[in-house]
Amino acid sequence: MAELSVNHLLGIKYITAADIDLIFKTADHFKEVINRPIKKVPSLRDITIANLFFENSTRTKLSFELAEKRLSADVINFSAAASSVKKGETLIDTVNNILSMKVDMVVMRHPNPGAGVFLSKHIKASIVNAGDGAHEHPTQALLDSYSIRERLGEVAGKNVVIVGDILHSRVALSNIYALKLQGANVKVCGPKTLIPKYIESLGVEVELDLRKALEWCDVANMLRVQNERMDISYFPSTREYTQQYGVNKEILESLDKEIVIMHPGPINRGVEITSDVADSGQAIILDQVQNGVAVRMAVIYLLASKIQ
Amino acid sequence: MNALIKAATVIDSKSPHNGNVVDIRIKDGIITEIASTLTPSKNEKTITFDDLKVSSGWFDTSVSIGEPGYEERETIKNGLKVAALSGFTGIAVNPNTNPIIDTSADVAFMMHKSAGNATELFPIGALSRNSESVDLAELYDMQQSGAVAFGDYQKPVSNPNLLKIALQYTQGFDGLVLSFPQENDIAGKGQVNEGVMSTRIGLKGKPAIAESLQVARDLHILEYTGGKLHIPTISTKASVHLIADAKAKGLDVTSSAAIHNLFFTDDVLEDFNTNYKVTPPLRNQDDVEALIQGIKTGVIDFVTSDHNPLDVERKHVEFDNATYGTISQEATFGALLTLVSEKKAVKLLTQGRARFTNKEQSIVEGANANLTLFSIKGSYTFSESDIKSKSKNAAFLGAKLKGKVYGIVNNNQIILND
Repeated sequence: MAELSVNHLLGIKYITAADIDLIFKTADHFKEVINRPIKKVPSLRDITIANLFFENSTRTKLSFELAEKRLSADVINFSAAASSVKKGETLIDTVNNILSMKVDMVVMRHPNPGAGVFLSKHIKASIVNAGDGAHEHPTQALLDSYSIRERLGEVAGKNVVIVGDILHSRVALSNIYALKLQGANVKVCGPKTLIPKYIESLGVEVELDLRKALEWCDVANMLRVQNERMDISYFPSTREYTQQYGVNKEILESLDKEIVIMHPGPINRGVEITSDVADSGQAIILDQVQNGVAVRMAVIYLLASKIQ
Repeated sequence: MNALIKAATVIDSKSPHNGNVVDIRIKDGIITEIASTLTPSKNEKTITFDDLKVSSGWFDTSVSIGEPGYEERETIKNGLKVAALSGFTGIAVNPNTNPIIDTSADVAFMMHKSAGNATELFPIGALSRNSESVDLAELYDMQQSGAVAFGDYQKPVSNPNLLKIALQYTQGFDGLVLSFPQENDIAGKGQVNEGVMSTRIGLKGKPAIAESLQVARDLHILEYTGGKLHIPTISTKASVHLIADAKAKGLDVTSSAAIHNLFFTDDVLEDFNTNYKVTPPLRNQDDVEALIQGIKTGVIDFVTSDHNPLDVERKHVEFDNATYGTISQEATFGALLTLVSEKKAVKLLTQGRARFTNKEQSIVEGANANLTLFSIKGSYTFSESDIKSKSKNAAFLGAKLKGKVYGIVNNNQIILND
């Protein structure tokens, strides 16, 4: 049986195109499973997974937990707010304490870039990165590509623009890696202050004009402005941001083709996209959420099969 | 201490014996005889080594120790031993202790605690009270107790007027002012060099202009005030150019580069290894090449270890939470020898003494025996066993280095590696 080239999913930049292909084919199977009346398979009955969330999350945490439960894994949850992290315990101590209770896999979200990489060198468990600072959010990028593949048939050759706060976004970085790996063309679009100066070294183009970017693309992935990660104001006001980089029905209707609108959530309605866009047939935002469970099931299943 | 150093090649451009293979007789810590062959006498230790080279004792212009306050990182006693075994007979020690060395009494403590060791400790007093960059510390008073320069280690002088006043005030007693080159607002929360690597790995970047902007400001102020300025540990191409221009204008400015900034590029950060988390950050190939050019042309006057021992609790954590710094002293010579000739290396490792202590040192009869003994032969991979420091946070672990430090002679003592 085919297997992943890695023992952890720490980022898209550590995996191969063949890995992505395998994850998608496995996800196809699980997507069929979760649409059955009994949405559960007994695959991981002997596996215990700890979801360690050192940063707030709603949908990613729920999505992982559902994926794990539908694979029949035993699941424990941990969130930083109610933990000993606040009492000064180090990350390695915290995780080793949890692992000593015989946990096989760790799903971790952490505010620091590289936290997953760091942990993978010091603990004995398979690690899935559920977002580490502005570094990577690999399962989000996988479910995004999976959703593009589902809607447009394939990812290769498609024009994808990522719009918004690229500077603080792990979703942008993982998406760039994933899309490039699958042969898509990628542009990033947003105010120059929110685009890393050296982003073109990743093989993407920068487009500061939203209209031009939308005219070029097949898919627009709209990112949330991450005010919580900004130390200073990178633009004068939300109003002005929306004037330049918000997508509304009017601009979409003025294009000579119908593009696909994506958003990793949570949406700031009226800021990066208007409600009529978010709720339109062009938007595949809820498909992304549903695919997230199938893709995460695939990732967990494939990594667990390497433990056994 | 009486000793006879046999068959040593002198590398000292100020010595009449420069380039010659000689025997050197030392009596009670003084060089008494230098000749092509000297006969060993009783009660003197004979020192012989393969490919033995001897130079004036090396001087490290930026060393952090920890004591007082952070003894878990390094103690003065062991810190001086590390320096000796790394070839340094003099070290300028940063005031980044707890409390910060910002009074005459603090300086006196450092002098007292370090007295009698083979390697001499020269305290750098804080430029501003508690290194807060608000008011000047009592610089003259600290100098009277033994401080050789004034700077707030790795904390920039954020207020340009404070630097102006410092450069003017210190002229009354020939004081050397250190200004760390970083513009804090532009540096922001950056942790590593802003570049291709920071983009790849999602770590916040410090742009190179955060450094050169401050260097440009400081040189502009120096041109206005006069005085003696040292810009420690520069890391960018633009800084090298700015300092070259200032020197061409005749300004009294020196600069240094840390050995790790000369040896590594930010490519090593891929793995989030916290030993590479340093200030200034490791830069890109272009900057490193400019720095190497800078040490070759003399725009950069000194190479320092910028040795900064940190206990495991400060490094064995997520990259964001790790403290900045690496121990580099044990690797300084071996790394420098991969970049420049031994003559150049010796120059870069000895010139700091005159700038910081106003004392020249040379290998001549009648002078104090203040010597470093080393070889330029062979290469080795720097490993845990090469670390003599109490802390083990070495960026150089696994690096391929050249030559060997045999030890030092100074202060009427001989300290040799095993």
